[in-house]
Amino acid sequence: MKEELFVSGRNIPNIDPFLNIWHWQIPVYLFLGGLAAGILFFAALFTIMGKADKMEATVKKAPLIVPIALVLGLFALFLDLKHQLFFWRLYTTVRIESPMSWGAWVLLVITPLSFVWVASYAKELKPGWNWKWALLDKIEAFVIEKRLWLAWIIIVLSVILGIYTGILLSAFNARPLWNTSILGPLFLVSGMSTGAAVIMLMSRSAEEKKLMGGIDLLLIVIELFFITHMIMGFQAGSETQIASAQLFLGGPFTVPFWVFVVILGLIFPAILEVMERLGIHMPVIVPAGLVIIGGFIFRFIMVEAGQITRYLY
Amino acid sequence: MKRDGTFYINPYLGGIMLGLVLFATYYITGRGLGASGAVKSTVVTTVHAVAPEHAHQSGYYSQFLSDTTSPMNNWLVFEILGVLAGAFFSGALWGRLKIKNEHSPKISGKTRLISALIGGALFGFGSQLARGCTSGAALSGMAVLSSSGIITMMAIFGSAYLFSWIFKRLWI
Repeated sequence: MKEELFVSGRNIPNIDPFLNIWHWQIPVYLFLGGLAAGILFFAALFTIMGKADKMEATVKKAPLIVPIALVLGLFALFLDLKHQLFFWRLYTTVRIESPMSWGAWVLLVITPLSFVWVASYAKELKPGWNWKWALLDKIEAFVIEKRLWLAWIIIVLSVILGIYTGILLSAFNARPLWNTSILGPLFLVSGMSTGAAVIMLMSRSAEEKKLMGGIDLLLIVIELFFITHMIMGFQAGSETQIASAQLFLGGPFTVPFWVFVVILGLIFPAILEVMERLGIHMPVIVPAGLVIIGGFIFRFIMVEAGQITRYLY
Repeated sequence: MKRDGTFYINPYLGGIMLGLVLFATYYITGRGLGASGAVKSTVVTTVHAVAPEHAHQSGYYSQFLSDTTSPMNNWLVFEILGVLAGAFFSGALWGRLKIKNEHSPKISGKTRLISALIGGALFGFGSQLARGCTSGAALSGMAVLSSSGIITMMAIFGSAYLFSWIFKRLWI
């Protein structure tokens, strides 16, 4: 028997014993993608509900951030690629069973649509805006006429985009912390919550702020519920999943996760939002800022922690 | 109780409540409260990030640096996060969440900020010489009848009487 082969069999730098290939680019993208999905979801939702004029920040102003967030996020993903010049190969195939394929195609559609959405409100946001070419004016008129259709397409794609940021991780069956189907909904809700927080920050209308605050509060409660279930699921799972839950229950990620994500990023802003609803004046930047920072840290922790969980011991 | 920012709790009651907080801290964590330790950890981490060589060579900074854990991984840092959160709650509840610079009418806001900065720097320096501030050395120390705690408390309040008289123009 050639034992030396067994020894060399586990010599896989950056993959075994720990995955060490995803750095800041991935959580930055997951955060920006989730944020963009959240904002687009609310923009489309309130357009479909016919409240575009009442929810000005949601439908018209906050979507300005979306194209920027998506372009920066995609650039971060691009930086992460080993063979950057081959990224186009994602677009030579459609694989229904591959989250990467879903994400690549959804992004290819939703990114230009987000530009179109913002452009269609250019004249309302900046009076005196001139498209220079008659063709662009015609396209604008067409988009404005068909805005409801656009909203329906965007609302569906934004949910796929939001879920995809979680499924990108959960499709990794070799990493027990990520390999849970609750990660998709959890990342979707977290992205929607950060999106609602950004809208609250940009809104000038007390009514809109109050409504988005209420929605954000609900999303925070759902997120806490999902986090609890994720950990309960791990605890009831295989030995490797119990070990991955231990990273948050006494292990090295305990303090950052519970202090910065759960307490300061979810529970504390939720209490502040409840206080606001009870009529106690609250500067919106504090709960909204904490939700955004908490969501950002959450993605870093999940990407970092997931990489050190494994099946082989 | 009005919520316009004018309501303050009775100082004696506040003192008793602070004592109970200290008591609870000893009971739950097995150690006293602190404040300057969190600032110290932040300073050490910042110096280490900006000038790592200097931090390792310095006799003062190097004692808080380790290869395995960050100086920020210190319970006092998290305690201070809690203090900030609690203070924010209290400010929101009693209508005091406003950014303002309170100062004596005799001095300008700028003088107030500069003197606060100088005073704060001296207090930070002193707290490191004394290995603790009003919370960590004086309050927590006195609670366990430590003689250093009693000396610190006497020194802090004794010198405060003296210096407040000398600098009374800054605050009356």
